[in-house]
Amino acid sequence: MSAPAERWNEPSGVRLHLPLPACAHCGLEVPAGRIEPDAARQFCCDGCSTVFALLRSSELEDYYQVRDRLGGKREAAIVTQRTYEDFDDEALQALVVTRGPAGDSRVRFHLEGLHCGACVWLVEKVCQKVPGVLEARVDLGRQQLSLVYTAEALKLSTLAKRLDRFGYPCHVNVGDPADSAAREQDKKLLIRMGVAAAAAGNAMLMAFALYSGLAQGVDREIWTLFRWGSLLVTVPAVLWCGSVFFQRAWMALRARTPHMDIPISLGILAGFIWGAVNTVRGSGEIYFDTLGVLTFLLLVGRYIQQRSQRRSLDDAALLQSLAPSSARVETETGTRELPIGAIPVGAVVVVQAGEVLPVDGVVLTGSSTLNVALLTGESMPEEVGEGQNVFAGTLNLQSELRICASASGQSTRVGQLVKSLEHSALLRPKIALLADRVAAYFVVLVTALAAFTVWLWWSTSPERAVENAIALLVVSCPCALAMATPLAISSALGRAARAGILIKSGEAVERLAQAEEVVFDKTGTLTGGQLGLAGWCGDESLKTWVQALEAHSTHPVGRALAAHLPRDPDVQVCDAKATLGSGIEGTVNGRNVRVGKLTFALGNAGLPEFALNFAEASRRLGRSLVAVSVDGAVAAVASLEDPLRKDAQDCLTKLQGFGLKLAVLSGDQQSVVQSVAQALGNPFADVRGEVSPEGKRDALALRASGGHVVMVGDGVNDAGALAAASVGVAVHGGAEASLKVADVYVTKEGLGPLVQLFRGARRTLAVIRRGMAFSLFYNAISIVLAMTGHLNPLIAAILMPLSSITVIFNAYRSRTF
Amino acid sequence: MSVLFVLLPLGILLSAGATVAYIWAVKRGQFDDTQTPALRILMDDEEHRRAATTDVKD
Repeated sequence: MSAPAERWNEPSGVRLHLPLPACAHCGLEVPAGRIEPDAARQFCCDGCSTVFALLRSSELEDYYQVRDRLGGKREAAIVTQRTYEDFDDEALQALVVTRGPAGDSRVRFHLEGLHCGACVWLVEKVCQKVPGVLEARVDLGRQQLSLVYTAEALKLSTLAKRLDRFGYPCHVNVGDPADSAAREQDKKLLIRMGVAAAAAGNAMLMAFALYSGLAQGVDREIWTLFRWGSLLVTVPAVLWCGSVFFQRAWMALRARTPHMDIPISLGILAGFIWGAVNTVRGSGEIYFDTLGVLTFLLLVGRYIQQRSQRRSLDDAALLQSLAPSSARVETETGTRELPIGAIPVGAVVVVQAGEVLPVDGVVLTGSSTLNVALLTGESMPEEVGEGQNVFAGTLNLQSELRICASASGQSTRVGQLVKSLEHSALLRPKIALLADRVAAYFVVLVTALAAFTVWLWWSTSPERAVENAIALLVVSCPCALAMATPLAISSALGRAARAGILIKSGEAVERLAQAEEVVFDKTGTLTGGQLGLAGWCGDESLKTWVQALEAHSTHPVGRALAAHLPRDPDVQVCDAKATLGSGIEGTVNGRNVRVGKLTFALGNAGLPEFALNFAEASRRLGRSLVAVSVDGAVAAVASLEDPLRKDAQDCLTKLQGFGLKLAVLSGDQQSVVQSVAQALGNPFADVRGEVSPEGKRDALALRASGGHVVMVGDGVNDAGALAAASVGVAVHGGAEASLKVADVYVTKEGLGPLVQLFRGARRTLAVIRRGMAFSLFYNAISIVLAMTGHLNPLIAAILMPLSSITVIFNAYRSRTF
Repeated sequence: MSVLFVLLPLGILLSAGATVAYIWAVKRGQFDDTQTPALRILMDDEEHRRAATTDVKD
């Protein structure tokens, strides 16, 4: 069927577009091929029409009204055919289901396809209509559904299946207990923050009265009352809320490592103890308001940092939970979905085209092509047939395979690799962060200055000496200095996430900014990981013929040819027949054409004269060859390779411009890696192919011990290296294992975000440095005032927030990512 | 001015009460999700509106 837009091609050259009808569910354009002229409603895909029918039959059509009113996003529905039987598995339930107080069960699902308020409405409504569900609440920000249900009345698979049919595929996150512990931690910090705020507010009100002349007032009893009142409200703020800092400082002292919390604790404790002593004595200065505000601001900084970091970790966990968690296993009673970890050795697993192999094993029936790039880094797909060994983590490209499992879960090759990562994580050298290094000097300087102040004033009056030294300790408490890093980092993490870069920790930003070398993986990182046409030798007019013939192929090579050769709708193909593992043959425009492996297309004949040089050159570059024969005679030879990403060249040039050293470590053949490096103009200091995953890991560990090295990769074979590098960056489309260990995950296609990542990290570090400079400047002023005896609590109360505001402004107004 | 001897402790007590209320709210999870409840209130509205129009029809 021809597209309606084409029918409106006017001879005058004016092109009128008949608007394509909108999908009744998602409102997107309906592809021409799917238009049904007689139907009252058009749908863009099966998913949308299924969901529409379901909504009507469940009397939930209100969804469309809700969506329009809330201005919700319209997106095509995702519907899978999973049965979710693995959700009923007891081993899995033991991990994710918790028991409520009244004998009810609670579970949390990650949902795909949650876009807007209307989705929230629909999911909650759908759940409430399922018998056995007591409560269903969606958290849109976390893309989570919290469910309370009666285990006797509801099978989880029933509910999951129902949500799936409405376009919300469900996933369970097995790491959830850690998540709830993190939530508790968030809550505790939030409570401390609130208590500190209340205390600081009250102390400030009372201080206001004291500063505005109560001290000179007639009524000494009221003056004493206000001082005691201030002490009363400051006790919980300092001793309870501030204990966060004291504990950390104590730990750092015992471990003899510098930490920002040491000068903070010093200032707060000195000020508090001296203030308490002065309150009891009934004379001298108190700094309770400043201390309260200090504690509050510091807790705010810490909370913001924790939240932004949690946010990126949540996003990464969400991505991980999307990885397939179940596999279809044949049993006596038919096929069942089982959780991947629970597949017994010897079980028969069915893997369809487009699915990732869940187990290591031997092919029982079927033959297909596997993409092994994620596991080994080899760019050429691998043909497998009966009796051959296959490995978990590879992608089945072509047709269904039945595999007898020889290892599953942790004991697969991928599982072993991931296990070895726990070891690699320990290899990463610990480095003190910039803020902590500054803090180390700061403590020494401040205590020395305090001692100097005491000595300076001792002869004048011992009391003035202590008074001034304490004032110095309080005002030099590096509140703004401590906030400079978390604020800059949290604002940077937020901006990076919006730009499609998930950074899991703030430390990674600092290490990225100081990186000296970037090591790239080849397959899937520098290249797209998918075959493309590299060269053509012979009859050019055959290109359209081959394209038309290969359109009938499911083989990755065939699909690459079909996608990259020019299309001509007038070429007639009949009797297309594919021979697995060899090629395809058919009648094109009345002539017999064979496309495929050399032996398939040529028979016993050798390569013709004209193609010899081409074939030799292609082999040297590690490209694979496809021959085309017409009526038994070879007419053309094509070569295929995994093409470079479009933005690879540009990205590498820019990274070089940043002064970074570049290198390539790949599991692919040396010749292929060399040719890729050549194609990029060889900007690399080191190009190595045929490196094993362990080899990569050790190479990175070695480099990382010398300076900051960033590893960029995607595959399981890179995971060890990602963990051993100072910073591991997993690119879009990476394997689950690499996602788990990487510090940074890029959610956008291509290498462009890398440039943004390095530039952003450097800018962030500059912002941190600027913030520190501001706060040190304020500190210098106040220290001079304190040493000369000109500082009083009022000036401290003004200077302290002023410096903090400068730092906050600096962190949030600066461009980073 | 001696009224302050009553007012000041009263004020502190009041803010202590507010703090306790805040702690209760945090523990109950009122701050867990700051995005979805804002949408949920609109949905309820939608249903009531529909219920009202059906009433008129009947």
